[in-house]
Amino acid sequence: MKRVRQLGETLLLTLIVASVALAGGFQLNEHGASAMSQGGAFAARASDASAIYFNPAGLGFQTTGSIYLGATGIVPTISFYGPAQNNTNAETKMNSQFFTPINVYITYPVMDRLQVGVGAYNAYGLGTEWPDNWSGKNLVTKVDLKTYWFTPTVAYRLADNLSIGAGVSYVSGTLLLKKAAPFDSRVTLDMTAHGWGFDGGIDYKATPQLTVGLSYRSKVKVDANGSAGFVPDIPVLPGGGVKASIALPATGYAGVAYKFSDALSLEADYQYIGWSSYDNLTFTFTKDGSSTSAPKNYSDTYILRVGGEYSLGSLKFRAGYYYDHTPVSDAYVDPLLPDANRHGLSAGIGLNLTEHLKVDAGYLFIKFLDRTVTNTIPATTFDGTYKSYANLFSLDLGYSL
Amino acid sequence: MKLTKYGIVALALAIAVLYGGCKNTAPSGPVAGLGGATVGKYVAVGNSLTAGYQSNGLFASAQAYSYPNLIAQQITQAGGTVGTFQQPLYSDPGTPDAGGINASRYELISWVGPVIGPRGSPAGSPINTTLPRPYDNLGVPGAVIFDFLDSTSVALKALAPRSNPLFALVLRNQAALGNSIFRQAVALKPDLVTFWLGNNDVLGFATSGGVSPNAPTSTPIFTALYTQAIGTLRAALPNAKIVVANIPDVRAIPFFNTLGPQIAAELPAGVVLQYQKHGTTGVADGTTNFTESNPPLITLTGAPYAPLLGHPGGKWYRDHSYPALPPGIDTTKPFGLHPQNPWPDALVLDATEQATAGASVQAFNAVIAGVAATNHAAVVDINGFFNNLKANGYRSAGLVFTADYVSGGTFSFDGVHPSDQGSGVVANQFIAVMNSSFGWSIPLVDVSALPALTVPLSKGSKVYPVIPEGSFSNLEMLWGTR
Repeated sequence: MKRVRQLGETLLLTLIVASVALAGGFQLNEHGASAMSQGGAFAARASDASAIYFNPAGLGFQTTGSIYLGATGIVPTISFYGPAQNNTNAETKMNSQFFTPINVYITYPVMDRLQVGVGAYNAYGLGTEWPDNWSGKNLVTKVDLKTYWFTPTVAYRLADNLSIGAGVSYVSGTLLLKKAAPFDSRVTLDMTAHGWGFDGGIDYKATPQLTVGLSYRSKVKVDANGSAGFVPDIPVLPGGGVKASIALPATGYAGVAYKFSDALSLEADYQYIGWSSYDNLTFTFTKDGSSTSAPKNYSDTYILRVGGEYSLGSLKFRAGYYYDHTPVSDAYVDPLLPDANRHGLSAGIGLNLTEHLKVDAGYLFIKFLDRTVTNTIPATTFDGTYKSYANLFSLDLGYSL
Repeated sequence: MKLTKYGIVALALAIAVLYGGCKNTAPSGPVAGLGGATVGKYVAVGNSLTAGYQSNGLFASAQAYSYPNLIAQQITQAGGTVGTFQQPLYSDPGTPDAGGINASRYELISWVGPVIGPRGSPAGSPINTTLPRPYDNLGVPGAVIFDFLDSTSVALKALAPRSNPLFALVLRNQAALGNSIFRQAVALKPDLVTFWLGNNDVLGFATSGGVSPNAPTSTPIFTALYTQAIGTLRAALPNAKIVVANIPDVRAIPFFNTLGPQIAAELPAGVVLQYQKHGTTGVADGTTNFTESNPPLITLTGAPYAPLLGHPGGKWYRDHSYPALPPGIDTTKPFGLHPQNPWPDALVLDATEQATAGASVQAFNAVIAGVAATNHAAVVDINGFFNNLKANGYRSAGLVFTADYVSGGTFSFDGVHPSDQGSGVVANQFIAVMNSSFGWSIPLVDVSALPALTVPLSKGSKVYPVIPEGSFSNLEMLWGTR
């Protein structure tokens, strides 16, 4: 029965490897309603407490303490047409899903030029859920990834036009994955993960109009622990403990903002994501200590962002656009992560309710380019076309001292 | 101000355009169809593989997943009008064993062992016996190529030496419905015929360890019979689509590949298995430690005997009612490890026998290819598919199929016949050939939607599958002496 056991382990590995692959499309860049409304082009201005995420140096130009908190509602719509291997393009709709990543930022000026803060947000998240008996059930029926980032941050204004900042992140996460398994069983993989990362940034007001910002967020290596449970629990399948080490990639922003008037500012950002660090993954079964590696073959990628804000009294109008280039090549696309190149178009308003209290609301529409894959890797063998879009709604309240 | 207003309007418009263009609509892709052809009747000709025989028995819950029944459903999806595909259903748990009372069907009784065998439940009974026409599935378990045109009474075939009662189940009412498989098939006026016979012309030899029968059907006889079979079928159905499948190499199935490696792992260093070569009844004339380039293949029928290796005893001779031990045999010697108490010829396919079976498969498949071409029949290369399955496995939408016993998922518990999902994989080989040969676009079977082998819930593991002695008697019946 050794071969049976090996088969089971191979299958479980396939399952885990695939599940981690989803992180590409599950990176979240929506960490504040104002930024989201402006296509996420915010690293140069970084003008509210969400600077803790976008560019910690931005805090150095903020002279008062503040609280900025809110959430984003995400409603994805995904359809799969196929599998082509079965000579069909029948549609399978992903089950309706609703995700609500949150953001909370608190900042406080401890002395002139020195600002400290802490942020809590979800830098990776989301999931997919497909019908229980769909044709891809042996690949996935449900996956749900949540990561919680806690980022104490400090920023220092070196000069009136130059600020630097840095932070440390403690990352905690959960991963739930369900799929069909051999012998008509179902497997649920449940893991928790922890890790540490750091970030830093610089913000430079070259002229009263022109601001340049750079920020960098390190790769975070999270150690994941969990268990695989089979129902029914068949002895030849490798239920029990599983460990993995997963690298969430580094990301960096380079932004240029220009203030055309007191009312109008525009910004363009280039965001880099170092997915190539995701070249290989190793998993260990606590049951027998055996381990195995799987190639990931992700590519470094980028997002181009433009956005701006126009003030009219206590009202602010915002809009933006971005193009997000997928890190996943055709062969590695699967229904856990039906990733594709994306266009994002956003708009939003801000309103100062009182001298201290403001509210920001944003809307983002993401259109994934239709993706037809014809050469999925053997472990997937599931060709077809994915069509996806998503609606995002964001609301934040800001209170400044 | 104006600029802002225009900006907002433009943005709203842009979002509306993106959003409006974004209702997910089906991409252009394969449209199910039969290229204008009418398929109003489909008939399947074959043996146990075609009948939906599985896990050492014929039973309705497996017949539902016979590859012809799956093909018929897919043809309907493509606009064919074959209607309900009628089969000679046998209620679960299926056909009886040699004793005639209990069902012969194997089930996985326990993972501890694992224990695989009949549950001892009373056999079922035929349940589709009043159909006033021949069955659409004319697969007769045990049929050889000779049987296609043979009009011998089914009652006679139930008696020795064929001892096969299943001809009577499938070919009912020979007088009214047709006295041969051929006649019943033609009476249905099919637009499409799948024809998969010839397996048993080699398999009987191979599964009996080259003992019974002691040679495959000879190539000249097979050539004559196959040529006559397809030629006669084509003459009677000049316009029908005919699809034939060739014969898998018997060495690709788990029946021959399961016990050998397990015995090899159990043999102490320096100890060899003493076995009888082809035709030997006495003292061992073959030895192996399974490391040579072409080691003997141990048949799955050896499962009850493998645990006895190294122990004195004569279970094989008692089980087979030998009136006296053959000359030279001494069952006080350690079984299988001493030349005088050898591993029996009937439980091993030695190198010579493998070569014999392999040569026959090769020769028969050449005949099948030639005869098919002459008669405008398409060919499904099942042999190539199974060889590739054994070498590389087969993947589909996250499922992994191999040629391994039980765990491989392709084969049922008898190690010869496909499982429900294995049948789906076989059906897809046929459908793919139909699509490419006839310009059809039949959707393939979603294999993941078919049942996998079902299992009980106990834990544990031992080396040999525990298959009770005698429980293979139905297989022996299938390929019995002719």
